[in-house]
Parts: sequence; C-alpha cells; structure tokens
Amino acid sequence: MSEFKRTTKFFYDYMKEYRLGFLVTTVALLASTYFQVKAPVFLGNSITELAKYVSDTEKNQNQFWQALWLLLIFYILYSVGSFIASAAVTLISGYSTNNMRRGLFGKLQRLTIQYFDSHKDGDILSRFTSDLDNISNALNQSLIDILTNVFMMVGIIIMMFRVNVTLAWVTMASSPIALILAAYLIRQTRHYVNLQQAEVGNLNGYINEQISGQKIVITNGLQKKSIKNFIPINERVRQATTRGQIYSGMLMPVMNGISLVNTAIVIFFGGWLAMNGGMERATALGLVVIFVQYSQQFYQPIINIASLYSMFQLAVTGAHRLTEIFDEKEEDTVPDGSVMEKIKNEIQLSNVRFSYNTNTEILHGVNISVEKGHMVALVGPTGSGKTTIMNLLNRFYDVDSGSITIDGKDLRKFNLKSLRDHVGIVLQDSVLFDGTIRDNIVFGNPEATDDQVIAAAKQANIHDFIESLPDGYLTHVSDENSIFSTGQKQLVSIARTILTNPELLILDEATSNVDTVTEAKIQKAMDNVIQGRTSFVIAHRLKTILNADKIVVLRNGNVIEEGNHAELLQQNGFYAELYRSQFVFGE
Amino acid sequence: MDIVLKQVPKYWKSIVGSLIAVTLMVVSTLWQPKLLQDVINAIMRNNQDQMLALGVQLIVIAVIGLIAGVINTILAARVAQSIGADTREMVYRKIEDFSFENIEKFQAGNLVVRLTNDINQVQNLVMTILQSLIRVPFLFIGSFILAIVTIPQLWWIIVVMVIVVGLVSAIAMGKMGKHFEKLQNLIDRLNQIAKENLAGVRVVKSFNQEENQKAKFNVVSDEFNQENISVGMIFSIIIPAFSMIGYAALVLAIYLAGNIAQNNPEIVGAVASFTNYLIQVVFALVMAGMMMTFSARALVSLRRLHEVLDTKRTLVYKDVPEQNLTGTVEFQDVSFSYAGDDHPTLKDISFQIKAGEMIGIVGATGSGKSTLAQLIPRLYDPQKGAVRVGGVNLRDVNEKSLRKTVSFVLQRAILFSGTIADNLRHGKEDATQAEMQRAAGIAQATEFVDRLPNQYQAPVEERSSNFSGGQKQRLSIARGVIGKPPILIMDDSTSALDANSEKLVQKALHQDLKGTTTLIIAEKISSVIHADRIFVMDQGRLVGVGSHQELLKTSAIYHEIYETQRGREE
Repeated sequence: MSEFKRTTKFFYDYMKEYRLGFLVTTVALLASTYFQVKAPVFLGNSITELAKYVSDTEKNQNQFWQALWLLLIFYILYSVGSFIASAAVTLISGYSTNNMRRGLFGKLQRLTIQYFDSHKDGDILSRFTSDLDNISNALNQSLIDILTNVFMMVGIIIMMFRVNVTLAWVTMASSPIALILAAYLIRQTRHYVNLQQAEVGNLNGYINEQISGQKIVITNGLQKKSIKNFIPINERVRQATTRGQIYSGMLMPVMNGISLVNTAIVIFFGGWLAMNGGMERATALGLVVIFVQYSQQFYQPIINIASLYSMFQLAVTGAHRLTEIFDEKEEDTVPDGSVMEKIKNEIQLSNVRFSYNTNTEILHGVNISVEKGHMVALVGPTGSGKTTIMNLLNRFYDVDSGSITIDGKDLRKFNLKSLRDHVGIVLQDSVLFDGTIRDNIVFGNPEATDDQVIAAAKQANIHDFIESLPDGYLTHVSDENSIFSTGQKQLVSIARTILTNPELLILDEATSNVDTVTEAKIQKAMDNVIQGRTSFVIAHRLKTILNADKIVVLRNGNVIEEGNHAELLQQNGFYAELYRSQFVFGE
Repeated sequence: MDIVLKQVPKYWKSIVGSLIAVTLMVVSTLWQPKLLQDVINAIMRNNQDQMLALGVQLIVIAVIGLIAGVINTILAARVAQSIGADTREMVYRKIEDFSFENIEKFQAGNLVVRLTNDINQVQNLVMTILQSLIRVPFLFIGSFILAIVTIPQLWWIIVVMVIVVGLVSAIAMGKMGKHFEKLQNLIDRLNQIAKENLAGVRVVKSFNQEENQKAKFNVVSDEFNQENISVGMIFSIIIPAFSMIGYAALVLAIYLAGNIAQNNPEIVGAVASFTNYLIQVVFALVMAGMMMTFSARALVSLRRLHEVLDTKRTLVYKDVPEQNLTGTVEFQDVSFSYAGDDHPTLKDISFQIKAGEMIGIVGATGSGKSTLAQLIPRLYDPQKGAVRVGGVNLRDVNEKSLRKTVSFVLQRAILFSGTIADNLRHGKEDATQAEMQRAAGIAQATEFVDRLPNQYQAPVEERSSNFSGGQKQRLSIARGVIGKPPILIMDDSTSALDANSEKLVQKALHQDLKGTTTLIIAEKISSVIHADRIFVMDQGRLVGVGSHQELLKTSAIYHEIYETQRGREE
C-alpha cells in the first residue's frame, strides 16, 4: 500500500465514528462562512437606512431599526456557527487522538519482545509525545482553518466572476506566481529545517551527555573544557536555526507583500478600465472598490493555507510513524492453547538452536533437562547464552529449531498467559514502577492481602528497610528516584516474584548487585522459595549456586560441562578455574 | 523577561532595523487605501496623467512593503536565534558552575529540557514579537486614534469594548492557566507510564500485567483528553466571543450614530470609516489575545530559565591560592544526610589515612560506603565535622588543587563521545601517548585498545554503545589513573571485570601508583584483602578498622561478610 493510502486509511479509521461530528462541523462552517461573506451587505444596507432615517426620522425609524436587528442577527449567527464548528472539532480531535493514544499503548502491550529489543525506547516514546501532539495540533487548528479558507476562496471566486469576468481574471492572474513561490519557499524551508534539526540533535546530544555525566565533569574539573566545546556547537546551531527560521518565517510576509502588489495592480487596472473601458463611470468606480476588497480577501485563504502546510506535513509524518507501529507483528498468545498446570516430571531443552538475527547463532544445539523441583544453575562468561535461555523459557523469544518441553509438551502449545502465570522471573535489571512500594510488590498479584505482602517482603529481606521509611509500604517510588539502592530494588523485585507463587522460577543474575551479606539472606529466603519449585538460576556469584542440583556450564552457546559442584571441581575444567578465582580461601 | 531584555543592547542595530521594516510594512499597508481614494478622485476628474503617476506609486509602495517584510523576517530570525544561542550559553555556563548537589536537585534530565525546549520557546517568542506582535500596537493605536477623530462623540464605545475584551480574556486566561498546569502534569504522567512500560516490558509480560497497565494508562489518557477538551472549549468560546463583542459595539455605534445624526447630518458619511476602524481595533485585540496565549508558554519557559540562573551555587570554593596537596585523608566527626532525608547516611565518622596507604571499604548495601567516598572529592559537604585532604579542610581548599589531588572512578562508567584519547585526557589534559599507554596498561585496557583499528583515536559513540561494560570500566579506570593523582578512589569500579583482570588491575595499581593513597570500595572481600587497612561500614557508622586478619578476630560484621564469601574447603 502506498504511503498516502495508508495515511488516509489511518485517519479514516480513526475518524469514521465521528461522521456526524464532521457533518455538524461542515454545516456550521458553511453557514458561518456564508454569514461572514454576506454580513457586509447588511452592513451596507443599514448604512443606507441610516441615511434615509436622517433625512426623514418619522417614516424610516422602523426600517432603520429592522436593518440593525438583521445585522445583529447575522453577526450572532456567524459567531454561533463558528463556535459550533470549533467546539465540534475540539471534540472530534480530542476523542480521536485519545483513541489513537490508547490504541498505541494497547498495541505496545501486544508487541513481541523482539520489537522492543530492536527499537530505541526514545524513538517509541516520541511517538506518544511529539507525533501524537502533531496530529492533534493539526486536527485542532488546521482542520477548521483549511475548511474555512477553502469555502471562502470558492465563495470569493464565484462572486468575482459574477460581478466582472475581466477584473476577476486580473485579480487571479498573479496567483500562479504566488503558488509557485509558496511551493519554492516550502521546499526550501523543509530542506533547511532538516539541516537545522540535525544540528539541534547534535547539540542536544552534547548537552545530555555532559549534564548526565556531570559527576565526571566535576570530579575531573572539566567545566571550562565543557563550555569550550559547547560554544562552537551552539554557534553552529545558531547559524542553522537562523537560516531555517528565515525560510520558514518568509512565507507570510512574502504572501502579504504579493497580496499588496496584487491589490495595487487591481486598483491600477480597474482605474484604467474605468477610464477606457467604455463603461459607465459610476459602475466602474463601484467595481474598483469591490475588487480591491476581493483582492485582499482572495489572498487571505492562500496565505492561511500555505502557513498551515508545514503543520499538516508534520501530522502526516506522525500518522505514518504511528501506522508503522500498528503494522508490527504481535505476540502469539495461543488463545486455544492448553492451560498449564503443575509440572509433573521435567522440563527439557532438546537440541535448541537460536539466533537473534539470522547471521549469528547464539545457541548451537543446547540440551538441558531439569527434574521437577530441582534447581539448575547456568554458569558461563558473558555472551555464552545464559540470558538467552531465560528469554526462551518465558517465550520472550521462540527457538529456531529443537524444542523446549514441559512434561513432553512443547511450550508453544500452551496458552501464553497461563504459561507466564506459572513462570516467575527475577530480572538482571530490576524495574520499579511509579506508585507505592506496595503497588510494586503486588504488581503481579493485585489482590494480595497486606499479610501476604509483608510475608513476601520478609522473605526477600526488605521488610525491615521498608518499615524504616516514614510512609512504610505506602512510600512513593519510581524507577528514577533513589530511595532504593540497586540492590534493594532487586529485593523488591524478588518480593514481587515470590507473591505470584510461580511453578517455575527463573533468576537472572538476580543477586549480582546485592552486597554479599544481603545476598546471603536472600539466598536463605530463596532456598525456601525454591523448595518444591523447579528453578533456573543464572549468576556470576558462584556462592549462590553451590547448592544447585545441577550446574550447567555454557560457553559460546554450547554446554561444555554439567554436573554438581563436587563433580565439576573434580573435572578440574572451566568451572573449577572460575571457582578458584572467585573465592577467598582461608589465609 | 529581563533575560531577553538584557541582550537587547547587543543586537540593537538588527532590532531597530526590523522595527523600521515593520513600520514600513504597516505604512505601506495603510497608505494603499489613501492612494485608492486618490485613484477614485482621478477617475472622477478623468485625469489620465495623474492616474498613471498614482499607478506607479501604488506599485512602488507595494514592492517596498514586500521588501520590508522580507528584511524584517531576516533580521527577526537573526535576533531571535542569537538571543536564543546567547541565553543557552549563559544557562549552560551557569549549570557548569553548579555543584553536584545543585544538579541533583534539578535532576540532569530536567536541566537538559530547560536548555533545549525552554530556550526554543524563548526563541519563538522573540521571533513572534519582532515579526508580528510589534504590528499590533501600531494597528491598535492607529485605528483607535483614527476612529476617535472620525466620530469624537462615540469615543466611549471603543473604550468600553476594549475593557470588556480585556475582562473576558483575563477570565479566560485565568481558567486556562489552571488547565494548562493540569495538562502538563498529565502529560508527564502519560510519558512516565509509557516510559516505565518500555523499560519494564519484560516484567509486565512475565507477570501478565498487560491489561492492568492498559487500564492504568487509559484512565490517565481519558483524564488528559477531558482537560484538553476543556481548554479547546474555552478557545472555541473565546474567539467568537471576541468578534461578537466587536460586532455588538459596531451595531451599537450605528444605532447611536442615528441619534447623533439628527443634529449633525454630515456624520452619516463618517459612519462607514468609523466601523472600519472599529473592526481594525477588534482585529488588533484578537491578535494580541492570541499572541498572549502563545507567549504564556514562553513566559513559563523564561521563568524556568530564571530558576536556573537565580540558583545559588552550593559548596562555594574559597578564593585561595593553588597548592600541592599530599595524599592524606582525614575525617573528623563527620555526619552527613542527603537533603530531604531524615536519617543521616553517615554518623560520626572519624579516621586518618596516611599518604600512600591502600584502604579497602566494605559493608552492606546502604551502609554509606559510596557516600563516604563522595565527600572526599567534595561532591557534598558534611553537615557536621570536617573532611581534610592533605591536611586542608575541604571548606578552605582551592578547587583546582583538590581536583588535581583526588581522582574518582565511579561504579557506573561514563564515557563521553569523542575518541578514546579524548576521554583519557579528561583525566590529564596534556597527556602524552606514553602516558595514555601507561594508564591503559594499569587498567588492563591495552589489549582491547590495541586491537581497535585506530587504537587511541578510535571513536567512542554516544552512550559509549560501541564498548562493553567491562571495556568501559577499564577506560574509566585508565582515565582515573592517568594523572598520577595523590589520591585515587575506586567506587566498586571493577565490578564488570572478570576476577583475573581485577587482580591484574590491583597488581598494577600497587606497582605503578606506589605513592598514591588508594581507597577501594568493594562488595567482594577478595578485592580488598591485600589492603593495608580495611574499613567496615554498617548503617552509616565506621564499625571496624584493621587488616583482614585483625578484622576476622575483632569485627563480627566483617566476619559475617567473610563467611558468605568463603570458599568451601573440599
């Protein structure tokens, strides 16, 4: 589908439920434009009546007042019409962009993890902010303006040709030049605004980096240097934005100027026509006056539409960027899949091959089997594929070939929701959501009671700390504020997982940012949680996995050693070396 | 506003130029009707010659108006962008002068927004003022005076009308202000939810919380929509209301003119032009109102910039001569709490470190290790007690001397975009190739730097995304040691290195930086086991000092930490 068609379809889909609203808007606008164009006639009438009234007060008073009433009614109708149109558009644009926003967020919740891993957060976020903003601005402002101006223009052209064909052509003669000039200016503007955006992006990048790294700047005394580097970048932005602004700001005055010149030509030509056109002098005079009005009015819509063009362009780009997301593949939720229940026997990875992108395979035929209730530890250097295995167990990604089965049944056969209900994860990077600490702990189980929350927090060894805060469990947190240290954040995320009582537990380096004393406490708590549960643990700290039923050593996507701690030490291979380098031995 | 006004003198030529251009534009616009009048007279008198002359005049004046418009735009853009750039520089300089505490209070992200979006708003404001706003008073005053001259008896209609329009817009603005504030909060909230759902997408999915998050988002989105519509409705009412006020005044004027005309019949001719001027006054008012709502946002931005410029720097350095400080560190009864935190993070800490000593600091998460370290380069001042480096109280130290003396390697390695050499030179401005190699050697970075195509000239991308966590930490350590600082603080800065590299780094530090006082904050006892002394922190207190062997005997807390990390004897 072409881009234009897609964009049109996008707007159509979101607008179609507001057909009535559009009808109201159009009728109201047509009416108010009509009243606006017609009002001068009534103004003229009332002045005529005024003149009569002065000459003979008694006879003409009623007619004078009647003319005034009519004029007032026309003005009121015009104002009411434009109010109705504007209010209708406000509602349409408000509700339709709200639907877009909700739709976009809903779509995000259905996208695959792969999408998030391969797109920058900032880029996705800007669709919520600037793209939706641009669409809403365009709907709000340009929709009414464009419609009004088009109506006005059509109305004026009709009127002009009705009054005098020659003068109508003269008035319109310069419009091709104006249009070409406008097109040229718009093209130049786009070009220079792009250049300007590039320089501004550069500057923003610099500022962001410097200010985010201010600790380094301060401790190394680099402030002067930072300013020194800032100045040339700022200067380039100044030059680029000046040029961009000149072009984008030029449209209005140039169009105004052309309108002025055009009016001058109309006056001149009208005057010449009056003297040499073989017309009655008084008629010709009237024509000149009328066409001066029209020349001014004729250019107004052109100016307005031209100045709205860039806004319109932004909205189209925004719509395009939104459709990009709406067209993305969604996660397969296996709606008809079987419902997962308790694990009876084992989880089995057989000959699993996987790659994030087609060229580089990460797992080259991995076989791991875990008995129900056992704990398996995955060990290996960075890039060995440990985290990838976790991604597969929760179906964040699917295997390329081979299979992962629970009691012989492929993961992909289970209903996705029911699978994830039974798989609990503690991630490498803990994330807190804006809200209270309690909100964060009950995240996966919103119905949990206070007692359950406290029990989970106690198991995760974070209860005492939470209680020491002034607002306890109701303390407001977000991912950015620093009530919690990195380690403590992880404890909260552990409590969160405990509360969902998962059948299969996956811990991805969950303790690597917690100090060893706290880690030991978690270890103890985790021992209880793990009891009776099947679990995968991925950790740098070998201490956390010494008690594993089975240790699987991965390297470059292959299993190279397998066994319990004692067995692996005896093998005296990779694991044994790792173990020796990490621990303090009695000195 | 005085941020902008202060810069006016610098660009007065361009400003005056653009004002003259605007005036020319207005004059040529106003002159045209007058010439039209003359043309009509010429036609009446059938004066062909005068007609031709007037035609030339008409066109010349129109062209002047066109050119004046172009010049105005060029000058206005120049002034606006220059004032914007200058303001940005001014604010940036101010931020670079901030203490770390100042920055944390504003939050880095927030400062970035002020430097970008808010400055942008100010630029647009200046541009609008010079390009269009300036026309409004011309138009307003001009047509106001002309109207009163035309029918002096009706002066009060215009005054009343202006007052009513003023009142209506004041009320609308007041209402709008409240809504705008709410809108801003809701936008922040929407972004927050979207942002945390992106960051935590794995959490949301693995806990099956998609529906709940959607519901949460939709509630805020709907609220935002309602606010948006309220603002839109105010606009929908106010614009027709303005024109309605104007038209009502117009009808009233004609009605009253009818009465006045009973005694002065000649007034009838003037009514047409009076109404014309009246409409111009309304037009100017509407334009002014629209500009006002537009500039309201810019004024908020200006206030936000003022906030930055008016902030007093905390931690002011005394103006004392530079001196060479030795590597001793002393804490005397130091207590410290973060702003807004009731619990002190550090409590009554006292110790002395001799130059060249190697100190390890261990303790649980939240015990205050990092805070203690941050007081040494004076990122914060303690509320109680004194920190001394080289025997000098940090409150009396020369800033440059302190920077030369203390080098701080952070847990989170931050590199700046540029080349590797650029980043290393942040630690020592005039570092030679040999010095860089030596520093990279200590940090165990030589191996991977040498493998890069351009070695030390290899680019570091934004967010240093072309390096792994371990490589970043190595470069950050190299930056820390390149200046051979008398004091080196490593705040858990080897956490991303494998055990072997970490050992090599420590060995190299020991050999190459013999005279350097080193403080190593670590989670792992193996990282600090060879230190001359180990400090044990617990809940903001220094609870144990000694060598590994001593502490095993004297400190229960240390013993507990050790136990958790002790290898199993097989």
